[in-house]
Amino acid sequence: MSKKVISVLVAAILALTFVMAGCSSNSGTKKTTDNSSVNDTQKVEPVTIEFWHTFSDTEDKILNEQIIPDFEQKYPNIKVKATRMPYDGLKQQVISAVAGNATPDVMRMDIIWVPEFAKLGALQPVDNLEGFDAIKEKAFKGPMETNYFNGHYYGIPQDTNTKIAIYNKTLLQQAGLTEPPKTFDELVAAAEKIKGKDRWGIAISGTGPWGIAPYFLSLGGKVTDDKYTKATGYLNSPESVAALQKLIDLYNEKLIGPCILGGQPDTWGGMKGNNYLMIDDGPWFYSIQGDAAKQSTVPALFPQGPGGSISVVGGEDLVLFKTTKHPKEAWIFMQYMFSETPQKLLAQQAGLIPTNMDVANSSDVSGDPIISLYVQQLKTAWPRTPSPNWGKIDETLNQAFEKVFRGKATPQQALDEAAKQIDEFLQNN
Amino acid sequence: MLSQSILENKSKNNKKNSHFKQKFKEWFEVLPFIGLGLVLLSVFVVYPQIKNIYMAFTNYNIMPGQPSEFVGFANFMRAFHSEKFWLAFRNTVLYGVVTVPGQMAIGLIVAVLINNVIKGKNLYKVMIYIPVITSWIVVSLIFKYLFTDGKEGLINYALLKLHLISNPISWLQNTWTANFVIWVLGIWKGIGWVMVIYLAALQGIPNELYEAAEVDGANPVQTFFKIIIPLIKPTTFFILINLIIGAFGVFIQVMMITNGAPLGTTDVLLNYMYNRAFSDFEFGYASAISVIIGIVIMAITLLQKRLLKYDEFNY
Repeated sequence: MSKKVISVLVAAILALTFVMAGCSSNSGTKKTTDNSSVNDTQKVEPVTIEFWHTFSDTEDKILNEQIIPDFEQKYPNIKVKATRMPYDGLKQQVISAVAGNATPDVMRMDIIWVPEFAKLGALQPVDNLEGFDAIKEKAFKGPMETNYFNGHYYGIPQDTNTKIAIYNKTLLQQAGLTEPPKTFDELVAAAEKIKGKDRWGIAISGTGPWGIAPYFLSLGGKVTDDKYTKATGYLNSPESVAALQKLIDLYNEKLIGPCILGGQPDTWGGMKGNNYLMIDDGPWFYSIQGDAAKQSTVPALFPQGPGGSISVVGGEDLVLFKTTKHPKEAWIFMQYMFSETPQKLLAQQAGLIPTNMDVANSSDVSGDPIISLYVQQLKTAWPRTPSPNWGKIDETLNQAFEKVFRGKATPQQALDEAAKQIDEFLQNN
Repeated sequence: MLSQSILENKSKNNKKNSHFKQKFKEWFEVLPFIGLGLVLLSVFVVYPQIKNIYMAFTNYNIMPGQPSEFVGFANFMRAFHSEKFWLAFRNTVLYGVVTVPGQMAIGLIVAVLINNVIKGKNLYKVMIYIPVITSWIVVSLIFKYLFTDGKEGLINYALLKLHLISNPISWLQNTWTANFVIWVLGIWKGIGWVMVIYLAALQGIPNELYEAAEVDGANPVQTFFKIIIPLIKPTTFFILINLIIGAFGVFIQVMMITNGAPLGTTDVLLNYMYNRAFSDFEFGYASAISVIIGIVIMAITLLQKRLLKYDEFNY
C-alpha cells in the first residue's frame, strides 16, 4: 500500500512540474554586473553592442544596409549587432532576458513599456549622461516625456507616430464625396449613404485604447485630468458617457464594422475588399502596403467632433539596459540614432516620423504630404497616460469598452467602474 | 504466482539482513547511473518547485539581486477573492469534464475498431495518432482559421453551403462557442493517445475469452460491455488520471485561439497565471496560482486512487 502511495505522490509531483514549468523560468543567477567599464577609455579593440528592435521589413533593410554601415564607419571601434524581434510576445521575452541577465545593451522599445521597465529597475537613467541635454532640447516634447519616470529620463525618443483617418477612394465616390469628411457628422452622413450588406462606414480596430481612443476623444470623451492623477470625474463625466453612447448607437445602426469586436473583415482586409469607408492607422500602413495603397485610398486628419480631432500618440524609445557591459558605446549609438542621418533616412524611405525637431522641420522631410499629415495630427494627439501601470489601465479600459459593445453594461456603469479602478492604478504609480 | 511469492520473501529477508555499510556500498555503486538524472532533476524540477512555493508567499521582484517582500498568504487570498480566477477555474474544470470523457469514449471506440481490422492496422494507427505529435501551436492556429468569424471562415462556409445555418456564427466572439472550439481541439488532439494505450490493453486480452464468449452466444455489443470494458479497467484508470492531469495543463490552445476573450470568459488557469506573470509582472501572485493548481491536481489524484479502487487482473 505504502508503495502505491509513494508512486502516486511521485506521479503527482511530476505532474506538478509540468504545470509549474510555465512560471519557473527565472534563473537563480544573482550576478551583479560591473558598470565601472565606463571609465576605461583606453580600449582599442572593437566593442560589439547588441541592439534589439522591431523595425518593419522596409525599416530593417534601411537599418542594415545604410544606417549601421554609416555608424560603423563613423565609429570604427563599435560594432552593432542588430536583432529584429517579433512584437508578439516581446514583452515576455524581455522579461525573461531581464531575469536571466541576458538583455541587449540597447533596445528600441514601445513608448508605453518604458515607465514599466524603469519601475522594475531594468533600465539605466540616461539624463546624467553627457549629451543628454542637447537631445532633450532638440526632441519633440510629447515623445520625450514618454521616457520620464519618477524624476529621471530612462531613454530617448527614436521615432513617433500617430494614427490618421484613411478613406477608401471607391466608397468615398459612392458616397458622393470628392474629398474626405471634415467633421464627424459628415462622416456619419457618408457612412449612412454607403451602408449595406458587408459594407460599413467606420472600422475601429478594437476596444482597446489604441483602437478606440481617437473616436472616443474626438467625440468629447476624456480619460484622466491633464496631470494624469485621476480618472473619476473625467472618464465617467457626462461628456465621456455621451461619446461612448454615440459610438454604441453607430455600432447598433451597423455603421461601425464588426472588426471592433474582433470580427471579420479586419481593417486592412476591409479596406482592400471595399467593405469599409474609413479605417485609421499609423504611417506603417503606407510603408508596408506600398504604392498600391496610395492609389486606392485617401489619407486625412481625423474628422472633427465635439472634442476636436484627437488621435493617439505611439512610437518607440531607445533605452539602455542596466546590465549592459558597454554603457559608453551603447550611449554613443543611442545618440547617433537620434542624429540627422538615421532619422532622415527612416523618415524619407520608410515614413517614420522623426523625433528630432531639426529633422522633422527640414524641408525634405516636411515636404512629404503623408508625413506632414501625421505631423499635423500629432500636434493634438493624446499621449496615453504615462504610468508604470499603463498595462493594467489599458486592460481596464479595453474591458470597459468591450463590455458596453457586447451589451453587458451601460456606458455609465462601465465607465464608473473603470474610473474607480484606474484611480487606484494611478495612485500606486 | 508461487514463484513470485518466493521472490518477495527472499527480498524481504535480504532487506532484514543487510547492514548499513552494505547499503551505502549499493548506493555508491548505482550513483554513477542515476547521478546525472538526479542532478538534472534537482536543478530543473526540484529547485524550481521549491523556489516557486517560496515565491508564492512574496511580492516577488524579478530583477536579479533585488529583495522580495514577504507577504504571507496575501497572494492566495487575492486569488480566492478574484472573480477572474474563479472564471478561469471554472473553465479549466469544464475543459476536463468535457474533453476527458470525450477523448476516452472516442479513443476506445476507435481502438476497438482498429483492433478488429485485419488489414492496414498500422496505417489507421498512424493516421489517428498524427494529431498527437503535431505541434499545439500549429493546430491551434489552424483551428483559429477554421473557425474564423464571418462567411469567409471554412466551418461557417461549409455550414452555410449545407444550409445548416442562415447566418455565419461568430465562433470566437461568444463564450460558449469559443469554449466549444477549444474543447473540440482538445478532444481531436487527444484521441490518438487514448487509442494507442487502449490498443495495447486490448491486445493483452487473450483470444480464448473472445472465443468462449462467442461459443456462449454473446453478440459483439455484449462482448464489448461484458468482456472488454471490465478487462481494461486498469488501463481506463491510468488514462483517466493522465487525462485529468493533462486537462489542468490546458494552456497553449487557449492562449493561441482566444487568450481569454471575450472578457476573460474562456480563460483557463494556466493562461490566467501566464498573463499575470508575464504581462503584469505579478510573479508572486502567479506563483500562488500555480501552487493552487498543483495542490488541486495532487488532491484529485489521491482522491481518485481512493474512490476508484481496482483489482489487478490475472487471467
